[in-house]
Amino acid sequence: MANLKEKLPVTPPEGTTWEVELKQVGFVRKLLMARRWYGADWWFVAVSGVFVLIFIIVALVPGLFAPYSPDALVGPRFLAPGAYADLSVLIVPANSSVNELKDLAVPENGDRPTMAVVQGESTAGDLNTQAQNIDEQLKDQAGGLRLRPVFDRYTSLADALQAVVNGTDRAAVVQQKEFANIASKYPSLREASSLTGAKVAGGFIMGTNDIGQDVFSRLLWGTRIALIIGFTSSLLSLFLGVPLGLLAGFIGGMFDRLLSLVMDSLYAFPGLILAIAITAVLGPSMLNIIIAIAVLYIPTYYRIVRGQTLTVKEEVYVEAARSIGARRTEILARYIFPNVIPSVAIIFSVNVADAILTGAGLSFLGLGLPPTIADWGIDLARGQRFIQSAWWMITFPGLAILLVVLSFTLMGEGLTEIFNPKLRDR
Amino acid sequence: MSDNILYSVRNLTVEYKTRGGAVRAVDDVSLDIRRGEILGLVGESGCGKSTFGKALLRLHDGPASIPTGELWFDGRDLMKLPIQEMPKIRGAELGMVFQDPMTSLNPVQSILDHLTETIQAHEPKVSNAAARARAEELVERLGIRHERIKEYPHQLSGGMRQRVMISLALALRAKLVIADEPTTSLDVIVEAKFLDLLKELQQEFGLTILLITHNIGVVAEICDRVAVMYAAKMAEVGSAEVVFGNPKHPYTQGLLNSVPNINLDAKELYKMGGEPPSLLHPPSGCRFHPRCPFAMDICTQEEPAFQSVAGEQLAACWLYQKKGDHQPSMKKEVSRG
Repeated sequence: MANLKEKLPVTPPEGTTWEVELKQVGFVRKLLMARRWYGADWWFVAVSGVFVLIFIIVALVPGLFAPYSPDALVGPRFLAPGAYADLSVLIVPANSSVNELKDLAVPENGDRPTMAVVQGESTAGDLNTQAQNIDEQLKDQAGGLRLRPVFDRYTSLADALQAVVNGTDRAAVVQQKEFANIASKYPSLREASSLTGAKVAGGFIMGTNDIGQDVFSRLLWGTRIALIIGFTSSLLSLFLGVPLGLLAGFIGGMFDRLLSLVMDSLYAFPGLILAIAITAVLGPSMLNIIIAIAVLYIPTYYRIVRGQTLTVKEEVYVEAARSIGARRTEILARYIFPNVIPSVAIIFSVNVADAILTGAGLSFLGLGLPPTIADWGIDLARGQRFIQSAWWMITFPGLAILLVVLSFTLMGEGLTEIFNPKLRDR
Repeated sequence: MSDNILYSVRNLTVEYKTRGGAVRAVDDVSLDIRRGEILGLVGESGCGKSTFGKALLRLHDGPASIPTGELWFDGRDLMKLPIQEMPKIRGAELGMVFQDPMTSLNPVQSILDHLTETIQAHEPKVSNAAARARAEELVERLGIRHERIKEYPHQLSGGMRQRVMISLALALRAKLVIADEPTTSLDVIVEAKFLDLLKELQQEFGLTILLITHNIGVVAEICDRVAVMYAAKMAEVGSAEVVFGNPKHPYTQGLLNSVPNINLDAKELYKMGGEPPSLLHPPSGCRFHPRCPFAMDICTQEEPAFQSVAGEQLAACWLYQKKGDHQPSMKKEVSRG
């Protein structure tokens, strides 16, 4: 008898052990333990939730993460990701006491230093910019020193260096890499310092664009624009679509028919085309983009909320509420609205992703923001022209859009699965 | 007599507009509900019982309307009140308990919210704490531990939810509770407990209950009087003892014979022939005549009056009346307070 008892399987009181456990733990533990229950959906939500959080933080304080300002021309043009820029370096005779460009400054009436550069290289530009900067600074100081170099242009690097060796020119400004290759041939010369800042020497993780802005910095600042457009336009359409849907479903009749007709007409338009039409009429600006996208998504909220309202309205508890004397406004606010809102929360997340995509699309077409603003769509449009020579310009903003849209969508879909298990079997 | 009667329904008609035309789900029905009684309203599915119950609160909407009828409740005709005034009466004086306790509570509100909302909707001055105290006392009385008052409907059993529904009606001491098949979805044990509770409450609070059901057993168990409806018309009304002991209307007789009885000798259960008529095209004359074993010529031609057949037992049947032999109708008989 005792043997038989041992063989009987021990069944927990209700459900499996973890289901019982899940009922007893607090919110945080429940959230963590839910992964055993929801499986893949839980992971989707968790991972995409982390991404969404990162994007939101970056959007709030892009300055903390971005190495440069999005508008600053910080490096050479078209610098590939991770590549080092060709630095302009100052080459002086080995026995010279000159260490920086500043050391070449002379008194107001002294002989202006002659400097060798190679024709057609960016070095002359760098020298010009730096020398002017230094000159400006010196002018303000009391020393009376000025730095106004005279440029000697040579056709080749060898000629330029030879001029310094000969003493024709005080110094030369050449590209560091090229000098390094032949430095052994000129023992009487030495590399003094680089003209541009040391920071630039580090390269750019995502390269630079066609005017020398840092793609990575623009990407981070672009997050802010993308999320502002995504959230505000989704919120705007939510605040318009939900009440309209509630009222149409609740009141019904002619009001419902008219409103549904308008909403269905809006819905029938291809989304981007409608947004293009609206921005084309209103003109490109942040607010107009938001309005255009909001108009686009009002019907989404309207239809879902109206449908839900129609269902909930017929529930017995609504009739029961009437039988205990609840007024229409009370029924709408306390019985219908709370039962409708969960489905809205879920489509909101997917909607934000969609709005970001549409916003980027508008900017890409030049109908969005002014081109000075760091925006993914604008960067895409810009990069598209150089897709063969500078792949990084279009790839990284594109990936950013992909990732942000994927995160929001996966989070929304995952939450739908978790909160609305009925959908699973479909 | 008027003091004795809480709710007096006169010639009530409820129409549903459908594509096939107007359907009268309740057709010219008169009924008195006495103070402090439990009145059972029985009939087949679709005979208009629930529509009648809802009409007492003027809860109909959408395609339904009340073209004619008087609803004398406690001295005033509710039909004469503007519909905006009805919420004040619903809940406070007239309560309703619905068929399916699983769906008749708002899933996003706790029991406490339901009760305090009801109380404060009618008595806005009551503080939250006071409303809560009243709610706790009430559910405790109905056999739900007050700790559970913070729980949501899905955490309660069917019987408990039905008790919560009752508590909503009792929260403001409704004079009349219309219970629309309250025990249909409950199992027999919970049903028995619930019926006991109803009986207790009726005695304790002096409650009047209109119990709409198709379960004859339930009526026999707790009702003082019984009203039998057939095809949107009232067939028979009388005290439970008399109607069950000596049914007059052939429909009532058939209905009672159809109830399975463990002591029954007959091999097969009695079946009433035919089907309930379509209310879109009701039969001429007495609506029961196509199924009636005693149908006479006059039954197919003229509608019988609903009048007394023996004392307080009323029935609408030609077996007990002759053409032109109408008693003074109920309408004139009743004086209203």
